[in-house]
Amino acid sequence: MEPRDETSLLATLARKNAVLEGINRIFHEALTAPSLEALGRVCLRVAEDVTGASFSFMGEIDRATDLLDEIAISERGWAAFEAAKSDWPHGKVPTGLTIHGLYGRVLREGKGLIFNDAATHADRVGTPAGHPPLECFLGVPLHQNGAVIGMVGLGNRAGGFRDEDLAAAEELAPAIVQALHSKRAEMALRDSEEQRRVTLELVPAMLWRVDLDGLRIASNQQWHAITGQTDEQASNGGWMELIHPSEAGKVSRAFRRAYAAGEPVTVQCRVRQAGVGYRALLIRQVPVRDGAGQITHWFGAATDISDMQSLEERQRVLVAELQHRVRNILTVVRSVFARTVEGAESLDDVADHFRGRLDALARTQVSATLNASGTVDLENLIRDELLSVGVSDGPGLTMTGPDVALPVGAVELLGLAIHELATNALKFGAFRAPGGSLSIVWDVNVDGRSARRLDLRWVEQGVPAIPIRPARQGFGTELIEEALPYRLGAETRLEFRGGGVRCTIGLPLGGDEEGA
Amino acid sequence: MPGRLAGKQILVVEDEYFIASDLRRALAAEEALVIGPVSSLAAGLDLAEREGIAAALLDVNLEGDSSLAIADRLAARGVPFVFVTGYDDWALPDAYRHVPRIAKPFAVPTVLAALDQLLASEDVP
Repeated sequence: MEPRDETSLLATLARKNAVLEGINRIFHEALTAPSLEALGRVCLRVAEDVTGASFSFMGEIDRATDLLDEIAISERGWAAFEAAKSDWPHGKVPTGLTIHGLYGRVLREGKGLIFNDAATHADRVGTPAGHPPLECFLGVPLHQNGAVIGMVGLGNRAGGFRDEDLAAAEELAPAIVQALHSKRAEMALRDSEEQRRVTLELVPAMLWRVDLDGLRIASNQQWHAITGQTDEQASNGGWMELIHPSEAGKVSRAFRRAYAAGEPVTVQCRVRQAGVGYRALLIRQVPVRDGAGQITHWFGAATDISDMQSLEERQRVLVAELQHRVRNILTVVRSVFARTVEGAESLDDVADHFRGRLDALARTQVSATLNASGTVDLENLIRDELLSVGVSDGPGLTMTGPDVALPVGAVELLGLAIHELATNALKFGAFRAPGGSLSIVWDVNVDGRSARRLDLRWVEQGVPAIPIRPARQGFGTELIEEALPYRLGAETRLEFRGGGVRCTIGLPLGGDEEGA
Repeated sequence: MPGRLAGKQILVVEDEYFIASDLRRALAAEEALVIGPVSSLAAGLDLAEREGIAAALLDVNLEGDSSLAIADRLAARGVPFVFVTGYDDWALPDAYRHVPRIAKPFAVPTVLAALDQLLASEDVP
């Protein structure tokens, strides 16, 4: 509408000025508003100021549901709700509103409308409980790219809304759309920036960006945390100083090739780390290209693979060891079987003796693997073997000696030797003869070269004279007299004499780390 | 008819008594002259210096020590040898992959056949 006289010209200028000031305020506030809603409130206050409305709201259409979600209700709007004793929780804007009624017409028709008879208009749908009474209503749509995306609704101007109020609100609308749009973009960017920053810090890897010539480095600080080198120190090739000298050539060649060819590079090398010495890292760096395919910079990552490498190595050793042990024990079992057959008089004999020896081998395998320290307690070993032939504590049995942790390598043969002695005692010796007794005494002595040695004596008494060695003693005797010295460096002596068997075993215990 | 092993000095290095004893018996039955058996790296290295050894049987793992040093010494002296081992190929360093290998648990005839083959290739003028 055109100004007709000076007064209305001045009024128009004042209104235009107010709108411009309002737009200025909106853009200014848009920079600092902490949220979309806060910005919405600023826009609504400006709209109220230039139109004289008592309260207002702003909403946008949810494209997925075709319902209206409010973005903000003005501070005056909330105050009106308070005054009307609304039970709407303060500050929680309603969402999912059906598009109908007076505001529905603004959205559907896509143009600004004034309803000064809002309370009685035929299209009114009423206001929700707690809403202040609506006397008049002014709505302007918000357009973006030609489509209606939402609206601003203003309520209750004393004397009703005028055309110039509608014009002012329509002039504000594009600025509101622009401000909301920038705020959204800014928040999305801030979100993704924040996400990127957090991601880079969370990833348990050293990450960096390096410029085209490979000189200036910006990292996620993990390189600094691990090597003590700052980005500045790492730049201009400084990081190469931390590479193990024997691998520096390989690494520098790999990177030179990659820069020359514009291709990714992957190298494994040892890098000097603050306080821990060299550790193996897997380093990768890839070129980052722009839309035209030109390399703009490089992005790199390094992970510590030392633990993985040593675990792999350890696993390899363990598997090989296990394989070795399994195959060895099978070979031993076969030899024991062959010897059992040689010395036996009947199949029952073979079955009986072999079962006993196999069980003894099995027991020592179990006790050797059960113990995390890899050692086995001597007294437990002896008790297990005696128990296997049905002998436990009794008046005829004495056992005396200090705690001895047997090295795992000695357990198998020593266990087998005790088994042979116990079986013999049961069949021919102390455990068979009435009044027979067995004394097992051991001690740990240190020889002239400070090597520790177990001295064990197995002495049977009260056994009638044994005229000849029992036939099955072929195996037991060979075991004690030959296998123990051969395999364990033991000094042994086995005597069959009047009164019973007497056996002494002197077994080197190796290092002196265990107390006697 | 005496076999190719008869009268030949065969070094046996094996830490497991029963296995060593089986090998000694089997070789003695072929009328070979058994050098050893010994169970340690040190003793094996000593015996490897002896003159007149025709061939050797080497356990790879000697109470936790590797017998590869004995293998190197024998190789340097031109004495052929066979590994007797519970390890698979991949557990041996590459340099020894070509050495004949008998896997544990072994059958005695396999060991004798392997030695026979070593000595046969030595016999070729």
